[in-house]
Amino acid sequence: MHFLGMDDEDKSSDNEQSKPDKMFTLKRWNSVAMWSWDCSTDTCAICRVQVMDACLRCQAESKKDATNKDVTCVVCWGECNHSFHHCCISLWVKQSNRCPLCQQEWSIQRLSS
Amino acid sequence: MNERDNFILKAKRIKLIEETKLKESSSMEVNKMDIDDRRKSNFSSLGPLSTSNGSISRGNSSNNAKGDIRKLVIKNFKSKPSLPENYQEHTWQKLKEAVVAIQTATPITYCLEELYQAVENMCSHKMDSQLYVNLTGLAESHVKANIRPFLAERIDKLLYLKKVNECWQFHCQQMIMIRSIFLYLDRTYVLQNPTVHSIWDLGLELFRDHIATNSTVQSRTVEGILMLIEKERNGETVDRTLLKSLLRMFSDLQIYKEAFENKFLIATKQLYQAEGQRKMQELDVPEYLKHVDKRLVEENERLLHYLDQCTKLQLIFTIERQLIAEHITGILQKGLDQLLEENRVADLSLLYSLFSRVKNGTIELCGSFNAFIKTKGKTLVIDPEKDKTMVQDLLDFKDKMDYIVCNCFERNEKFSHSLREAFEYFINQRTNKPAELIAKYVDMKLRAGNKEATEEELEQILDKIMVLFRFIHGKDVFEAFYKKDLAKRLLVGKSASVDAEKSMLSKLKQECGGGFTSKLEGMFKDMELSKDINIAFRQYIEGNANSKELAQFYAIGIDMTVNILTMGYWPTYPVMEVNMPPQLVEYQNVFTKFYLAKHSGRKLQWQPTLGHCVLKARFDQGPKDLQVSLFQSLVLLLFNDCNEMSLEEILQATNIEVSFDGELRRTLQSLACGKARVLTKIPKSREVEDKDKFKFNNEFTAKLFRIKINSIQMKETNEEQKATEERVYQDRQYQIDAAVVRIMKMRKTLSHNLLISELYKQLSFPVKPADLKKRIESLIDRDYMERDKDNQNQYNYVA
Repeated sequence: MHFLGMDDEDKSSDNEQSKPDKMFTLKRWNSVAMWSWDCSTDTCAICRVQVMDACLRCQAESKKDATNKDVTCVVCWGECNHSFHHCCISLWVKQSNRCPLCQQEWSIQRLSS
Repeated sequence: MNERDNFILKAKRIKLIEETKLKESSSMEVNKMDIDDRRKSNFSSLGPLSTSNGSISRGNSSNNAKGDIRKLVIKNFKSKPSLPENYQEHTWQKLKEAVVAIQTATPITYCLEELYQAVENMCSHKMDSQLYVNLTGLAESHVKANIRPFLAERIDKLLYLKKVNECWQFHCQQMIMIRSIFLYLDRTYVLQNPTVHSIWDLGLELFRDHIATNSTVQSRTVEGILMLIEKERNGETVDRTLLKSLLRMFSDLQIYKEAFENKFLIATKQLYQAEGQRKMQELDVPEYLKHVDKRLVEENERLLHYLDQCTKLQLIFTIERQLIAEHITGILQKGLDQLLEENRVADLSLLYSLFSRVKNGTIELCGSFNAFIKTKGKTLVIDPEKDKTMVQDLLDFKDKMDYIVCNCFERNEKFSHSLREAFEYFINQRTNKPAELIAKYVDMKLRAGNKEATEEELEQILDKIMVLFRFIHGKDVFEAFYKKDLAKRLLVGKSASVDAEKSMLSKLKQECGGGFTSKLEGMFKDMELSKDINIAFRQYIEGNANSKELAQFYAIGIDMTVNILTMGYWPTYPVMEVNMPPQLVEYQNVFTKFYLAKHSGRKLQWQPTLGHCVLKARFDQGPKDLQVSLFQSLVLLLFNDCNEMSLEEILQATNIEVSFDGELRRTLQSLACGKARVLTKIPKSREVEDKDKFKFNNEFTAKLFRIKINSIQMKETNEEQKATEERVYQDRQYQIDAAVVRIMKMRKTLSHNLLISELYKQLSFPVKPADLKKRIESLIDRDYMERDKDNQNQYNYVA
């Protein structure tokens, strides 16, 4: 009920007083939020580029094959909850099928979409 | 026969030309003599043939034996006709009398045809060589006699020249007349003997040998001519016809070059050398240039009126050299900067046209032009005092210089290139700042409320800005600041025009490629997606209005919109936790839940610094809508509960100050010390102190219903700006890394030096070789590449 209070009652947060005319009423609220991949680390441990950005190889590529449709470099979560660029970890597992951070056996939990 | 005819025709042409000068002889006579001449010369060549072979008929009679009955027989004279005795002496006497009469300008007693006939006869009877010798002697003695008056007493120079001219004119007339009489001699004897001169040439030769090349006569004449020319150069009017005639004489006598031209050029050189030095001292540059131009026009006129055309090249060259080439540096040092500064288009055009006449002129001019731009440009760029107007100044300066190159320097490719080079040089004399200011200038132009320009004008401004942008080495600095401003415009909805934004974006893309703008494009995309998300969120709430939680929510009546930004596309903002009214927190939570359900694997970070609100306020004087930032509204909402709060209490309630230094003080300052004072500070002062208290200002009045309370920006010179630059440097590392990997992937192996030079080609910002080396080391550590085992200077790509 206290949401209504904000509009009609004097006291917004505590709801204790109920004077008829409140001095300030919030009419419109424009808020901003930033989304990012839900990862434990911000940077990909393999290429040391932020997971929000394309991995280093993809960055190098993107200028070269501009004709290719926007190949976004997706993020990949393992069962161990560690995340890397999909490109980076795919190359990695060719050498060793373990998570580079915790040495658990690597298996993909999900990919970013 | 043909050759001969040609000769005759040619001779006739010459004769006709000369004949026209001779006013005494009538045109009728000329024609007649002409025809005679032609016919007789033809006959005479046949003459000897017919007499020596006897009769022509003999051949005819034998050939026409059949049909003809009558025969015509022509027989030789019985006795050979002979000339009267003393014919030669007698005839010569007659001719001599005539020649002397011509020379002394007395009437000739014989008729001209008779004389002509006499010459012809003498020639036919092989007396031609003797006739020629006699004539030569006669003419020579006359010419020799003529020199006397010129050697004698010293007379006035001008008078002297007139006399020489008179003598020359008279001599020519005489020779034409004599030649007309002796034409037959001229056409036969002279033509058959290549070694002897024609009568006209003989006349010239005699005049030259005996009068014109006489050292006294020549030096006096030349002196006189030079004196006249100097007088004319000094502005006096002189007898140009006299000069023309005398110089024609020199030309005709073929002593123009040695007798006159050399001395003339030396005199010219001396005159202009002195004049150049003097005028450079006396006059300022524009006047001097005008003077030079005037001189050139005058000398060209002189060439047109009396000088021989063969002098043109050297004369003009001498003037250009003495008046321009010698003073190139002087002119440029003394006046160019001033001309450019004062935008004196006409003078600059003249300067260019004069300088392009001399060797290295435009090169020197171009060099000084370049130097001027660099010095002037540097003063625009380097001084932090002028930062406010820097970009506009640069634009104006560029316009001005472009105009000068276009209109004064004939769009010379060299100059426009030099202009660009100079701009690029000076604009990068101060790192980062110009790029930053250009970005801010664009922001100013693209921000809403900027009504000074129409769409087209805006487009033009953006195009001009792009020109400046092209010169900037650190394009990423521009991008960082541009991005920050763009973010503000998008989030506050303050962009003047979507079209203009898109157009600017496409310009940047065109200039720097898709990589440069992909994040900026991402920002626009985020804004589009946010709209869709907000619609979906509203539907979600309306659709679930029955559930208890959302029902409350729906009833609040706050119009909430959320902008969801992709991290990485946008500038980074400080993260802070503030105390918000629980309803708002609740609101955020509902949204987060809704959003994460739609997009798995993501997390949301709320950015309270970017939020803004509209508050309805009730003042005694009537209600107002306040447009405020989220922080401002958090503070204001506190005053719903109590009338007076201390700084400390507000800090406790909002928690703003704790996580972000100075933010709360600035917020309060904007509310209590700005233009619209909805709070009253106790005590009143401009700065917010620790012990200050704040009260709701019930008496607040304003003309408008909607009031925007600007939040006070942190001084940009401090952290924010540093942070942006810091970010730029961080981004550069990734860009270097990406470029190295890109190059190595393509080349597989590459030497260090080649890799470095490739990198410089690809990178759009200035970077030191040492930094590149560090990045290469880092990539080697991360196994993107390795040093060649045999060659330390060689790298191999590691797949």
